[in-house]
Amino acid sequence: MTHVSDSRPSPTAAKVALTASAAAAAGLLLFPLATLGRGFDADAVLLHLSGAVLNFSGNQEAPLPPTGTVLALGWATLALTVASVVGALRRATWFWLTGLLACLCGVAAVLVLGQGLGAETARIAADTTLRPGLRRQLRSFYTGGGMNLGLFLPILAGLITAGAGLSGRAAWWERLNRLRGLLVPAVAIALAVLVGAVVVLIVQPAVNNSGAPLGLWRGWLAKSDLVYFVYSTLFAPVTALNPFLDSLKLATPLIFTGLSVAFAFRTGLFNIGAPGQLTVGAIMAMLVGVYGPSSLGWALLPLSVIAAGAGGALWGAIPGLLKARFGSSEVINTIMLNYIASALFIFLIGSNTFTFLGREYSLPLKAEGFEPASEELQVPARLPTLLDLFNVGQNGALALTVAPLVALIAYAAARLALRRTPRGGLIALGAALLAGVLTWRIGIPAQVIGSQLNASFLIALACVALFGVLMWRTATGYALRAVGLSPRAAEYGGISVARGTILAMTLAGMFAGLAGTHYVNGGALDEYRLKGNMPVNVGFDGIAVALMGQSTPGGVVAASLLFGTIDTGSVGVQRLANVNRDLVTVLKALIVLFIAAGGFLNRRVTDPPPPQLVKAEGGGNTPPAVAGLSPSVAAHERATPTPTVTLSSETNKDVTRGGGQ
Amino acid sequence: MEGLFAQLLTTAFLATFIRSVVPLLLTGLGGLFSERSGVVNIALDGLIIFGALAGAVATLTLEPSLGALAPWLGWLAGAVVGGLIAWIHAVVSIKYRADQVISGTAINLLSAGVPAVILTALYGSSTESPKVQNALPLWGVGELRFSPPVFFALLTVLVTWYVLYRTPYGLRLRATGEHPGAAASMGVNVRRMRYSGVILSGVLAGTAGVFLSIGNLDSYVRNISAGLGFISLAALIFGQWKPLGVLGATVLFGFLQALSITLGGTDLLPPTLVAALPYLITIIALIFTGRSAAPRALGKPLDG
Repeated sequence: MTHVSDSRPSPTAAKVALTASAAAAAGLLLFPLATLGRGFDADAVLLHLSGAVLNFSGNQEAPLPPTGTVLALGWATLALTVASVVGALRRATWFWLTGLLACLCGVAAVLVLGQGLGAETARIAADTTLRPGLRRQLRSFYTGGGMNLGLFLPILAGLITAGAGLSGRAAWWERLNRLRGLLVPAVAIALAVLVGAVVVLIVQPAVNNSGAPLGLWRGWLAKSDLVYFVYSTLFAPVTALNPFLDSLKLATPLIFTGLSVAFAFRTGLFNIGAPGQLTVGAIMAMLVGVYGPSSLGWALLPLSVIAAGAGGALWGAIPGLLKARFGSSEVINTIMLNYIASALFIFLIGSNTFTFLGREYSLPLKAEGFEPASEELQVPARLPTLLDLFNVGQNGALALTVAPLVALIAYAAARLALRRTPRGGLIALGAALLAGVLTWRIGIPAQVIGSQLNASFLIALACVALFGVLMWRTATGYALRAVGLSPRAAEYGGISVARGTILAMTLAGMFAGLAGTHYVNGGALDEYRLKGNMPVNVGFDGIAVALMGQSTPGGVVAASLLFGTIDTGSVGVQRLANVNRDLVTVLKALIVLFIAAGGFLNRRVTDPPPPQLVKAEGGGNTPPAVAGLSPSVAAHERATPTPTVTLSSETNKDVTRGGGQ
Repeated sequence: MEGLFAQLLTTAFLATFIRSVVPLLLTGLGGLFSERSGVVNIALDGLIIFGALAGAVATLTLEPSLGALAPWLGWLAGAVVGGLIAWIHAVVSIKYRADQVISGTAINLLSAGVPAVILTALYGSSTESPKVQNALPLWGVGELRFSPPVFFALLTVLVTWYVLYRTPYGLRLRATGEHPGAAASMGVNVRRMRYSGVILSGVLAGTAGVFLSIGNLDSYVRNISAGLGFISLAALIFGQWKPLGVLGATVLFGFLQALSITLGGTDLLPPTLVAALPYLITIIALIFTGRSAAPRALGKPLDG
């Protein structure tokens, strides 16, 4: 069955490899190869493949690391990339090898460069004749260096080429085919990055502190370096622990709102109301947290969290109810409720008195002071930071417990071992809990300073689990998904669409409302209180997150992490005058637009007809067919998101399912 | 209470009222063209913002050389940019068959970021443009002096009604939204009709934006649309996708907005809550229109 006559890469794969390699080869020549150092204003010393060193920095005398080896490796990369182009043109079976080598060559160049820069830094550190200020300046000058577009592109293109070339082999094809769901988000991100790069190229003047005038060529290199600098700063938080924890902190509310939008998507509803639900959730959490009886003690925290969920659920239930009962569009209603929630928010914490029919009433929810904000939460209602939660070090020493990690490993191992046992999941969960409790006191010392990541991140993860279990492991979830795929068929199957609509919007609202705990109970607004600067826009970002995560729990987490990362990185980008954080907003909007358009990919690429159909049509030129349908592919098919599902793809899926049985 | 009525019967209130109706009316009629062709246009709010921005930027750029002629070209620029952005929505939702609500939301998200980037690049401030010296002229008498888009809006109601019900184009547009398959079999180019409907909606919403930035104020400020696009979308639904219905609904919503502006200065109700009133009434209005006479093919991409 798995017989594949032609093990050469398919024409499509060859075309992909050709484009990637050609772009990388052009990039090697057109862009700077590496950055040898970077100053505080993003002024850089650039190295080009030709060996030319362009110094745009104010510091013209800084000694630079030797670049001979890097250049040689750069030329080798170029040769390998060109070889890949030739191989892809002839659809050769070997071009994955040249692609892989080009990638490795590029990585080697980056490593050699990093070594050279490291040597310079060490020399600076050992040089006692320098002033401390100058030494610090020089050190950050060298640590700002690294690869540039000229090396980044061939590394990336090499990976793509290798993947495309390997897809000619059946085993690899199937392995890659499993990742097909990532295609649309990946292409959408790439396109958004490309458009954003053009915006930076147009909008942003080149940074040149050298004083020498820029010609056309030097100006181009300086500007393209700027593009790379902006993006490498945006994605920088993944490279170090502290900014990574910051991005987790920014990702937390996105997980909540992303789950909210995704949950509604699954039921065929579009929840634009996450900002309003979040606001009401935060208000409720504040009301309980501040005004709840302090005699409740520790119970105040769970009550406050529940209040947040209930507030959001209420705000989500209203449009659900209106849709089920009166058929009015949830899209408009959720938007209107956003405005109403925002008015309510300002009303409650904006002023302590209000006039009604000419009489003055007092509603003292606002704290003293100029800023619109509520009183501080009582101490028991506050969520601890994860640092406090996981720190088992004594006497102020910092040591993070290994328990979560051990528990995770234990769970995975037990799950794998008990794959075929009924209730294996529950047993694995118990084993994980036991392992976690036993290893709680064991800690590893860590270098973390003042991370504000709070326990609402754990609540978010619990919501992720709840989403997954509810949607795919319960009858309710089955009914909800049925309503999402085809309301009429669900109705015929005895499922109440009205009930599904109300339930889905209520739960979606609850997810969004719980995001309020991050801001209020978790102190993410720098204080444990409700404040006027609550970023309700994360509710809209939830749409992007849900779309990018294909409305799956894991996808939502991954997309939230990405967005949290670039949000954190955008703070670094702001160091540059004129490049503002709104560029990140534009990038996110473009990602949504491009995902909505299916990455402008052909439908046959994103949602290919199942092999059985292709065989029946006698279509010979499609990629090597995987006979039968592997469980993973079938699982993936089930997981495709509902919002962009159209008639034709639905038919495809039905056929797939029929054929798979 | 008498004080309130005395306040409502002034020419100042009438002027506020008309100024509130105009952007709603223009945007609502724009949405009418788009939705009658079968394309949901939730992007109207973003289109207003882009139109307002383009109007202000074009006027500011042309002012030194053209003087009083500049705002007219600014109007043109706002309409064209509105049309262009709507064209993006059209391409994504017609050619690439994207979910139209999501595509529209993406345009709205764009309108939250792009103006700030452009304003920063041009004027160094991310929230507002400098003031234009030559805003659109005001025509009329006494307190009832309005810029040309106001008169244009009233004219557009009649033109829209005539085009929709008395021209072959209108017939084809309606057919495209009701039954694209049948329209196609009669030789109507469904895609082209939809493109034209969506682009027209952008032109009109862009004009509404121009009215806000250089017809009513004299600069672009952040969040200039303040949700007008969504209210006019509700007005479109409330008005049953008919030109005169849209006129009636926008008059109602405009009255509520003017009322909330006027009430904001009194001690009858808390102004922050009054600001929420139009949205609350929109929800209630939608209850009563409920399952209404939407174009049957609204939101469905054409197969084949």
